[in-house]
Amino acid sequence: MRPFCSPREHLSRRAFLKGTLIAAGGATVPNWGGLFHSSGVAAEAKKSGKRCLLLWMNGGASQIDTFDMKPGRATGGPFRPIASNVTGLQVCEYLPRMAKMADRLAVVRSMRTSEVDHPNGIYLMHTGQRPLVNVSHPELGAMVAKYVGNADSDLPNFVRMGPTGNGGAGFLGPQYQPFGLDREGRLPYFTGPYASPEAEQRRDDLLRFVEEGFAQEHKAEPFEAHRLAKEKAWRLLKAKSAFDVSKEWPKHKERYGDSEIGRGCFMARRLIEAGIPFVEVGQDNYDSHADNFVTHKANMNVLDPAWSSLLQDLHELGLLQDTLVVWMGEVGRTPGINNRAGRDHFVHGWTVVLSGGGVKGGVVYGSTDADGKDVKDDPVTEGDLFATIYTALGINPRAKHFVGSRPVWATPEGARPVRAILS
Amino acid sequence: MPDTPKFDKGALAWTLPWDDDWVTAVAVLGPTRRVAAGNNLGQVLVWDLPEKADAPAPAPVRRLDGHTNVISRLLATADGRWLISAGYDHTVRLWDMSASTKGTALVVPDANARAAAKKRGKPLPDAPVTVGLQQAERVLEGHKEWVQALSLTPDGKVLVSGDDAGRVIVWDVPSGKETRRWQVKGWVYALAVSPDARRLLISERFPLVYDPAKIIATKLWDATTGQVVRDLEDVFKKDYQSAAVFSLDGKLVAVGRGGEVNGPSGTIALLDAATGKKLHELKPGHEYGVTDLAFHPDGKHLASAGRDTVVRVWSAADGKLVKELGKARGGQFKDWIHAISFSADGRLLAAADMAGAVQVWNFPA
Amino acid sequence: MPRLRLVVALLAVPLVAAPLRADERPLRAVIDAEVRAAWEREKIPAPALADDATFLRRIFLDLVGTVPTHDEVKSFLADSDTGKRGKLIDKLLDDPRFALHQADVWDQVLFGRNPPGYDATSNRDGFKAWLAGKFAKNEPYDRWARALLLAEEDNSTLFYVQYRDQAEETAVAVGRIFLGTQLQCARCHDHPYEPWTQRDFYGMAAFFARLVVVEAALAAGKRRFLIGEKSSGEVLFTGSAKEQKPGRKGEPIRPKFLLGAAPEEPALPKDFKEPKPEANKAPKPAFSRKEKLADWVVAPENPYFTRAAANRLWAQFLGRGLVHPVDDLSDKHPPSLPKLFDTLTVELKAHKFDVKWFIRELVSSTTYQASASGPVKEALPYWFERARVRPLSAEELLAAVRAATGFDATGDKVGGDTVAYVLRYFGEPSDGRGDFQGNLGEHLFLNNSEQLRRMIVPRKGNLADTLVKSKDSPEERVDHLFLSVLSRPPRPQERKRFVAHLATPGGRPEALVEEAIWALLNAAEFRFNH
Repeated sequence: MRPFCSPREHLSRRAFLKGTLIAAGGATVPNWGGLFHSSGVAAEAKKSGKRCLLLWMNGGASQIDTFDMKPGRATGGPFRPIASNVTGLQVCEYLPRMAKMADRLAVVRSMRTSEVDHPNGIYLMHTGQRPLVNVSHPELGAMVAKYVGNADSDLPNFVRMGPTGNGGAGFLGPQYQPFGLDREGRLPYFTGPYASPEAEQRRDDLLRFVEEGFAQEHKAEPFEAHRLAKEKAWRLLKAKSAFDVSKEWPKHKERYGDSEIGRGCFMARRLIEAGIPFVEVGQDNYDSHADNFVTHKANMNVLDPAWSSLLQDLHELGLLQDTLVVWMGEVGRTPGINNRAGRDHFVHGWTVVLSGGGVKGGVVYGSTDADGKDVKDDPVTEGDLFATIYTALGINPRAKHFVGSRPVWATPEGARPVRAILS
Repeated sequence: MPDTPKFDKGALAWTLPWDDDWVTAVAVLGPTRRVAAGNNLGQVLVWDLPEKADAPAPAPVRRLDGHTNVISRLLATADGRWLISAGYDHTVRLWDMSASTKGTALVVPDANARAAAKKRGKPLPDAPVTVGLQQAERVLEGHKEWVQALSLTPDGKVLVSGDDAGRVIVWDVPSGKETRRWQVKGWVYALAVSPDARRLLISERFPLVYDPAKIIATKLWDATTGQVVRDLEDVFKKDYQSAAVFSLDGKLVAVGRGGEVNGPSGTIALLDAATGKKLHELKPGHEYGVTDLAFHPDGKHLASAGRDTVVRVWSAADGKLVKELGKARGGQFKDWIHAISFSADGRLLAAADMAGAVQVWNFPA
Repeated sequence: MPRLRLVVALLAVPLVAAPLRADERPLRAVIDAEVRAAWEREKIPAPALADDATFLRRIFLDLVGTVPTHDEVKSFLADSDTGKRGKLIDKLLDDPRFALHQADVWDQVLFGRNPPGYDATSNRDGFKAWLAGKFAKNEPYDRWARALLLAEEDNSTLFYVQYRDQAEETAVAVGRIFLGTQLQCARCHDHPYEPWTQRDFYGMAAFFARLVVVEAALAAGKRRFLIGEKSSGEVLFTGSAKEQKPGRKGEPIRPKFLLGAAPEEPALPKDFKEPKPEANKAPKPAFSRKEKLADWVVAPENPYFTRAAANRLWAQFLGRGLVHPVDDLSDKHPPSLPKLFDTLTVELKAHKFDVKWFIRELVSSTTYQASASGPVKEALPYWFERARVRPLSAEELLAAVRAATGFDATGDKVGGDTVAYVLRYFGEPSDGRGDFQGNLGEHLFLNNSEQLRRMIVPRKGNLADTLVKSKDSPEERVDHLFLSVLSRPPRPQERKRFVAHLATPGGRPEALVEEAIWALLNAAEFRFNH
């Protein structure tokens, strides 16, 4: 008898059988995640059917210049607010299309977080946890991959593109590592074959033959995990055309905007459509310690069409109700304007915007004071935000993991989901 | 053409405090001893300078009301009659400075300094200033974005303005009518019209930092056709140019590098206006970037200002530094001199100081 | 009281476990007897002994961190000496690669793949050389552990550099690695399962509060780190996390050994002023807390040290710690074989921490040499009823690929980019619990890396070249291939299949050989030590 049973990553037996069946058949049928999946396996693997899309504002977007405007105040800056389609919610004049979609947004104006610099802030706002010397926390994408992801999908469960988080699966393990596309959406290293298709087929068949023989006598799980990972890699390489949007892009370029974030948002839409449960798309340029206003204006210029088209398309595809779209960066920006016409890092009252699956639309949660110098009502910590995100996605915010024997929970002690914005 | 004053004897004559917000634009009104300045809030104040350089700093006399957002540029016609302002409120305004004021208001130009003194427990006696109020004679409303760039021919007849939507508009000043407009790809950052109103230098930007969709361009245009004459990419590479001005004879055009640059790379290039060929690069560059350029009425000198709080006077013939005015306040967090303007006699130079003042420098004959 | 129980257990062992003393029966026999008794009790059928080929590959990887060459496999399999396993063990324990490989293993124990303080700790070549020196001399474990904690020998200092100015983290790491304790729980509140209070935690951290990392400049841009110690400085305890208030200054805590006494520390003179730091010089204190701590950690009376060491060494070779996880010797995790655990502890101490002797006993046991096949699915079977299956480390993998493909015979060197990729894709193959996870990056690299391919394709002197040029029969060539890569002869079906492959009509011999080698290198059989 065993006194303690350790929780273990269970590789679905069925998923492995699928791999061997394919091996016996000799041909690989691309498996497009949740979309073209037999309902039985999909139901087993897709625990909640939810997806998550993170629009990462790298460097930290300015809340006062976007969703928490302070017109007429010394901190207000030169941008002017415009009305949105939600009474009482004004947004920046440079987000005109998002203003028309405000009824789909949950604007949290009272973020008060604990890391003010980029590296730690990027870690914090990707994991919900402050960095620890000896614990490598999983990023949101890895958590979604683990708890919402389809272990049996041909495509990776955690995809990111452009300037995004730089951590990864942490202690959840390499199975949940991100699949990183570069800024232009190009595939990562080692996805292009050097061998001819015939040579690949020959060597793959040979390997499958060796594996089958070995598997008859050797039943240990790591062997199976290895074989399964190989099959998955092959299937991914067969299905990688999912990442090629060059044919469709010209048709959508005008609407999304011909920019990195425009193309990134279109790619994200396609990947979410293909059943990938987590996609992170980064937009750079927000760290405007100097020339904040021209930089933010240019950023919003390309963000507004990209973000709004993405939400619109997800809505029209019927996917928005299951897809939580998170807009945030690692910090907000100071209400005070420095004498480089810049705004610096700020964590005492900044804004995150959620929309889609699991959250209400047309709501504003929390507030900052007249000049935006601190949270006035309902502060939300990084832990609260992650508890909210996890709850919206059907992930237990108190899910327990282990680093060696050290227990680590999905969100820090005391984190509470913001029920008011959950639908 | 006025004589060249003794630049080396240049000295700060007056500091006109105005600390409501950053002072972002300045213009000396031609031959008069009148100086106008604009700020971040869209206010414009006017001062009359004393005849004598050792007289105390004057108080403002007028306030020009109408703009509702940052004043980006102020220019004046050579006769000092018309002041032209551009702002983030999408408008360009023409102000008849010979017109009388309508109504008055009390202003406290150094309100913040007074509040700080009070906070320190050393309050100053109240000293509100009565100023006359004035509205613009004309409001030019052809722009739908921030008007960042403005240039005027020396005869005061042709005005060109450019905005953050890439729209360039040529105006006939006497009638206030638009004569031509066209679109450039980026936002109009710096703009200079040649004295004969035939050439334009326009620098463009779309200031994304890493995104390849960013736009950086500097081109010479034919103002009569709206066509590019010469793309100056070979001269300026991928550097933003934040200020430009033609010499009075139209032979030279000075272009300054700006936005925030690293260290002293805010250099100024003197180009042959006809060919676009670079004749001189003026060094040292302004630390962190150039903000404004102005030719001296003697036609032989050029002044520059930058994000280093320094004003420099250069010899246009050889590109050599003649005089440096003011001190670099230094450090990463510093102020800017936003704009500069010479008086018609070339004896005064006004500078818009972000820290909340107009500096007036005097050069003896 | 857990503490009492521990002490009692230690004292009691020599009395009740007297028959288990090694001078009567070698430790390997005690191991086998205890494990066999457990199998009987748990009604687990005893596994077969691993065949020679399986044993050969396993022991090579475990002792010297690579796989045997084709010739080594051939001669070992042909050897009819019944004592050949023992002789091989002796030989490998004396192989220079033994020390290097153990240094690699301990490097991962002490640092992990991505240690804190990356800038300073990413290159650990000097430290690994220092460790390898200890294993080469077979310096007793308690001696080198003490030297590591003193950090006064050349190249011995990097461990502390990870935790520069972080006394609490240093205490956690020292506790976890050398004592098998999980102190961090007591950092924010009294430990929920152990008799340690927050004060105990800060008492341990206090030993490291005065450490300073001094960066000494060396020629040619190299750096050297010295560990100095100041004469003053304390850890501050601010109460439990709940009681903490911003701005409240903590209470200084004196050093105190975990569940032990506080060392007597002479008071500093009233007017003491810490001397100014000197460049390139590590300060020496009037009284060294570090020294007291190092002495206490490795002292024979320390209730934790030997057990932690015995458990860790056991787990290195047998897979699962007798207490698992290996670094959490708490009451929450009773040992699976308590009597055996006690014996290992007593014997390790009795043999004065002779690691080589201890390892020899472990790998000479039939328990270690159990078969790798069978129905048990766990990577690390609880009752050791099948050999543990562990992924090759990045270092082992690269070494094994080199040995298998005969790469070194080409006279070429492995490129820095190849090493970097192997570290990236094979460096951390497990989750937080240490369970293996197959991952995409690893397979994309294996499938499509030109760097890896360079080691496989025919080049003068390597395996592919030998196979292409060989005049042997197809069957003999396939045998050569299997012996080289998988360290075993092919099974008949395999031989048939590979012979057919090499004779694929229209295929270039070079390409076909390359494909065959690739297939075996990608097999699960190659990826793991089993």
